[in-house]
Amino acid sequence: MAASDEVNLIDSKTVVPLNTWVLISTFKLSYNLLRRSDGTFNRHLAEYLDRKVTANANPEDGVFSFDVVIDRTTSLLSRVYRPAYASDQEGPVSVLDLEKPLDDEIVPVILFFHGGSFAHSSSNSKIYDTLCRRLVGACGGCVVVSVNYRRAPESPYPCAYDDGWTALNWVNSRTWLESKKDSKVRIFLAGDSSGGNIVHNVALKAGEAGIDVLGNVLLNPMFGGEERTESEKRLDGKYFVTVRDRDWYWKAFLPEGEDREHPACNPFGARAKSLRGLRFPKSLVVVAGLDLIQDWQLAYAEGLERAGKEVRLVHLEKATIGFYLLPNNTYFHSVMDEIAAFVNAES
Amino acid sequence: MDELLEVLGYKVRSSEMAEVAQKLEQLEMVLSNDDVGSTVLNDTVHYNPSDLSNWVETMLSELNNPESSDLDPTRICEDRSAFPKAEEGADEEASSKRIRLESVGSWGELTRPLVVVDSQETGVRLVHALVACAEAIQQQDLNLADALVKSVGTLAASQAGAMGKVATYFAQGLARRIYAADLSGGSSVGSSFEEALQMHFYESCPYLKFAHFTANQAILEAVTTARRVHVIDLGLNQGMQWPALMQALAVRPGGPPSFRLTGVGPPQTESSDSLQQLGWKLAQFAQAIGVEFEFKGLAAESLSDLEPEMFETRPESETLVVNSVFELHRLLNRSGSVEKLLTTVKTVKPRIVTTVEQEANHNGVVFLDRFNEALHYYSSLFDSLEDSYTLPSQDRVMSEVYLGRQIVNVVAAEGTDRVERHETLAQWKVRMGSVGFDPVPLGSSAFKQASMLLSVFAGGDGYRVEENDGCLMLGWQTRPLIATSAWKLAGA
Repeated sequence: MAASDEVNLIDSKTVVPLNTWVLISTFKLSYNLLRRSDGTFNRHLAEYLDRKVTANANPEDGVFSFDVVIDRTTSLLSRVYRPAYASDQEGPVSVLDLEKPLDDEIVPVILFFHGGSFAHSSSNSKIYDTLCRRLVGACGGCVVVSVNYRRAPESPYPCAYDDGWTALNWVNSRTWLESKKDSKVRIFLAGDSSGGNIVHNVALKAGEAGIDVLGNVLLNPMFGGEERTESEKRLDGKYFVTVRDRDWYWKAFLPEGEDREHPACNPFGARAKSLRGLRFPKSLVVVAGLDLIQDWQLAYAEGLERAGKEVRLVHLEKATIGFYLLPNNTYFHSVMDEIAAFVNAES
Repeated sequence: MDELLEVLGYKVRSSEMAEVAQKLEQLEMVLSNDDVGSTVLNDTVHYNPSDLSNWVETMLSELNNPESSDLDPTRICEDRSAFPKAEEGADEEASSKRIRLESVGSWGELTRPLVVVDSQETGVRLVHALVACAEAIQQQDLNLADALVKSVGTLAASQAGAMGKVATYFAQGLARRIYAADLSGGSSVGSSFEEALQMHFYESCPYLKFAHFTANQAILEAVTTARRVHVIDLGLNQGMQWPALMQALAVRPGGPPSFRLTGVGPPQTESSDSLQQLGWKLAQFAQAIGVEFEFKGLAAESLSDLEPEMFETRPESETLVVNSVFELHRLLNRSGSVEKLLTTVKTVKPRIVTTVEQEANHNGVVFLDRFNEALHYYSSLFDSLEDSYTLPSQDRVMSEVYLGRQIVNVVAAEGTDRVERHETLAQWKVRMGSVGFDPVPLGSSAFKQASMLLSVFAGGDGYRVEENDGCLMLGWQTRPLIATSAWKLAGA
């Protein structure tokens, strides 16, 4: 093994707290085991290793959750997170009160898509359940709906997008999610990694169909292309992620025979449709400076701007992937603040 | 423990963090050197991934001591028992005390997992009436409760699907409670009827099959080197668990061990000795597959009546297994009963104890809490039955009757009559720990095979297998419904 590999390991250890390093390295290790070189995925082992948590109608830290089967035919499930109705709530929220209409004039409803490069994790994965709970708190009382979309390689493109679209329609038609001010559901789309990619595609569809999405939040969104960008070459293998694993996940998600110039992977590439003149919400794009696909993410933000869409780009110089999973770094807190400001900006 | 990682499901002591990091680095280096490593680890059985330190250590030793790529469960069993090292003795005790305290805490805090099926929008009035009725009973306003239970009946009759059926059974339970009629909750029907109902339940949905399957996996792993195996089944019923185990033993490389089964059942009537008949049937099956077999039936009114001598164990020559599927919770109706049974079990020194229990808290002190818990639990259960079939079948109908009797018992019965006293895995862990049992983790191969079993048997794909701290749970959508765990004597 080359000395430079040893340097890599040491490198990543210096930029994140030790427990973060252990967490992300554990994922890296498990994920390496799960991806097979023939393109198949060890789903059983993946489900076995994934740490899961049930929903809980008993408020924890002021947030309670429950799962809803929103499409019985595909078993599409979503987990809804709501602020507790009373700060001194004793015991679980009654099943009759789960869908109590929102009490406030304006309540953002965040439709959340977890990450996992289209292959890993679920809405009941502990890391994402925790993140969603933190989002409710950080945004000063919003509703989060986390979609348990179908995953690659078993369900490749466009399944995840279809499920996102189903969830968007579901949220949009819930009367109990309407803000009192004008009886409208104030929808924001949010997601990390592959979830960020889904956000973009669902927003596109929403625009075409005339469903109002107030904003997109993309955390380390997963985009790519055939070209090997400078950041991919420079950061390959240095901070938990390799170009090779990125290629694997794209191959698992994209249709058979397609390459990474497919618009799902490269939304501003040669094959993609222009966004000019299309209805599209404002975007908050968070890019981690030590994420090897940052060039694609920066190109995405640029592409939005060129198409005349509102973008707020937050480039976190020394952040790695997964920085938002643990609240032990300043990036976590500043991004939570950014998201809160972004979703509460509407009046 | 590092709190931040614990929230995310990983138990790592802060003092161990650097060591765990180092092991991860080592693993990374070994794996990046050769592709075979990854394949080996793919085929390895993994245990208890929340215990990061042990998980990583196990993988390292797998790679550093390359055995044949065939899974050798013996070696893995040995590895696991090698882990409580001498110097960790005191630590173990401290950590087990910690676990005990934490669990007591979580016992007091309710986790109410809810899965709502969207089509229930029309069932809201029904749920409303049910809950209101239970509340009225809790407030001892029986007149109001009476009026409400009648409206539940009417609403339930016109409610299609699982919700209507569940509501009907809950209404029955509520009515019995209101009229203080037959608070035995219908338990006086006779054991053969119960057993017949359980057969239908066995056929129509995967819960019992999962229970048997996962318990058998744990048993198989524990008896790999045994030449003579003795299984004590604390609830023989129709003996459905054992043919599969015997078959697995029959094809064991090196030949099957001899298999002795002691089946516990309810007292037999003079005209029928169903235990013995069952023993005969199993003996014929054993003969057909070439397994040396011995059977004894033990009739007992209550499991707490069992004494160690009754099992006639042969510790010099036999490896002992004790198995209990949905039996332990029934003993919670009398103070001290379950402890007596568990002490009896401990006395006979089993190699492994396998238990399967409902994953629910139906034994709370407050009626209304029990009611709400049960309503959600059985709603999920009935929902899962609904999805498995497009047309009603006798199996499903009888399964609903089987579950309905449980519902009525939870809702209407009290005192020693209330036997469906389900408790959660967390609660059972505390109890088993305090009697002197240590958990034996169920691994990824049991998980995988259970998952595959589900896809073959179950109609709907809403069934989910989950690993939870060494135990396996089967649930519907995201709601765990039953939990299988395995135990050994502490320090063994």
